[in-house]
Amino acid sequence: MTLGYTGRVPSSGYVEIDHTADWALRVHGVDLADLLQQAAAGMLALAGAVPVLDAGTQALTLQLQAADRETLLVRWLEEVLFLVESRSRLPVHIQMEIDPELHLAARLELAPLARLSRAIKAVTFHGLRVIDTSEGLEATLVFDV
Amino acid sequence: MVHKKDMQRVGPVVWEIPSTFRPDMRVPVRVLADERLLDAALGDESLTQAVNASTLPGLVSHVTVMPDVHQGYGFPIGGVAAARISDGVVSPGAIGYDINCGVRLLSSAIPLDDVRPLLGELASALDAHCPSGVGTKGSLPLTAKELDRVCREGAAWALKEGWATAEDMACTEENGRIDGADPDCVSERARQRGRPQLGTLGAGNHFVEVDVVEQVLDARAAQAMGLQEGHLALQIHCGSRGFGHQVCSDFVAELQPATRRYGIQLPDRELVCAPIESPEGRRYLAAMACAANYAFANRQILAHHARAAFEDVLRGRVRRWELHQVYDIAHNMGRIEEHTVAGRRERVCVHRKGATRAFGPGFAGLPPQYRPLGQPVLVPGSMGTASWVLLGSAASMEISFGSCCHGAGRVMSRHQAKRTVRGERLRQDLEQAGVHVRAGSLPGLAEEAPQAYKDVDAVVEVVTQAGLATKVARLRPVAVVKG
Repeated sequence: MTLGYTGRVPSSGYVEIDHTADWALRVHGVDLADLLQQAAAGMLALAGAVPVLDAGTQALTLQLQAADRETLLVRWLEEVLFLVESRSRLPVHIQMEIDPELHLAARLELAPLARLSRAIKAVTFHGLRVIDTSEGLEATLVFDV
Repeated sequence: MVHKKDMQRVGPVVWEIPSTFRPDMRVPVRVLADERLLDAALGDESLTQAVNASTLPGLVSHVTVMPDVHQGYGFPIGGVAAARISDGVVSPGAIGYDINCGVRLLSSAIPLDDVRPLLGELASALDAHCPSGVGTKGSLPLTAKELDRVCREGAAWALKEGWATAEDMACTEENGRIDGADPDCVSERARQRGRPQLGTLGAGNHFVEVDVVEQVLDARAAQAMGLQEGHLALQIHCGSRGFGHQVCSDFVAELQPATRRYGIQLPDRELVCAPIESPEGRRYLAAMACAANYAFANRQILAHHARAAFEDVLRGRVRRWELHQVYDIAHNMGRIEEHTVAGRRERVCVHRKGATRAFGPGFAGLPPQYRPLGQPVLVPGSMGTASWVLLGSAASMEISFGSCCHGAGRVMSRHQAKRTVRGERLRQDLEQAGVHVRAGSLPGLAEEAPQAYKDVDAVVEVVTQAGLATKVARLRPVAVVKG
């Protein structure tokens, strides 16, 4: 998936929802890998992360494993946040596979970060449930800012 | 969802949600609020989150909700809960990601009238000296060994490095160093995030603000603090940066299976916890102490930078430009303290998330000038409104485990603020009102608009009426630096 894509498929995308102090996103995906990628796209959009488009990209492979879908979602987003904050890079293209045992294998194309407007301190587990819907999966994420 | 009909009024500004409200509650919830602030608290998930917090094992008494409460994640911002050491738990999410986020206040003998034309220059100098903004790196990257020393020594590390004075240390909660810090309990990722960020403000609601002391209401206390009507003061609001955020993230993840292993049922995974005396609980408290000490050192270095900015602009233009520390307090912290519970002295772990300590007169941990008065409590408002300096009272020990409010409290979502406020317009309005603003991000400025916050004066009226604290002075902003 190329990040920045959202909303063309009704069952896939993200929308910002109101939260008094922090930021919250409702995310939809056709499957778990899509949900994770949409969540990353939404989180980076909230943070106002903009890549340098003509600077070339670096590839990064990433492997994660978690006991449940929610933990995998949080761990994945924390990895993306860490790349942005500590390496000043953000994924612009992602290939991801997740097996039934919740092993995630991803290949990320990372572009240098041109601009970041807002800081996200952490991805929280607050009220977090990955729910099966008729069109795929849905989750509501709260970010501490 | 909690409704007003679910609550009983048990005092002029005290409302109780009884422990019968929901079967999984272990203790009641007490909300400190007037009618209007209560309505605001009922407008989001704050009180549901407080009810969720009341399900934590081993709580010795009610969960207290401050009048500046707002919805957070897991535990509400503006919540206090005390857990017994023997059978209670510690919950990282009930302390927060920005461990030891807090406020430092410094006083001066600089009359506003003498420097009014220099305020813009002063704001720019503060902006230049205090690194701020999203993901900012500081000017003193730490080696691994230096980071360990910061973790163990806190502001004392800054003193040894020449960034602090002995007066600063004495006027900082716990003298700027929490016992029990063990850097071995901190992950490599937290270290990576922490090493470049010491001495930085960050972004969001963090700020450096020049205020004028608008009104003194307790002359004796104000004199002890060096606060004089018409003179400048300075506030610094920030915390433990990416270091603390990572420590909390690590333990919220680590405690997910631990909570299940200890057979603890919770209504929200963000409240994951471990028995205080368990290996996991001890490790979290040791790592939390590292982040708390990092935050004390961080605010200390920012105070040093602010002093340099004042000197750069004001030396030779006013007679005295020095800044003296009034106090530095945490408002996201878990502390092992001794309190009276049902007539007996008991050691408890007090979780304060968006709430400050507010110990009354006689507390041995206070410097001599404050011991007969009580602990200074700093309540910053939003950037266009007042801030308050209070004194903790003896009554706060019974009402709220020696705790008080931490600010004005948000009432409007960031999303709504972005929709209704334009950053550039807000900056112009503030400048016209005499507040010089330096902001790294205009959308970020809009999210922190004064109208997004509650009335800080009303919040302070409630805590004083409830008996948690007494008023010392009201401050008004004249220059604000935001990341």
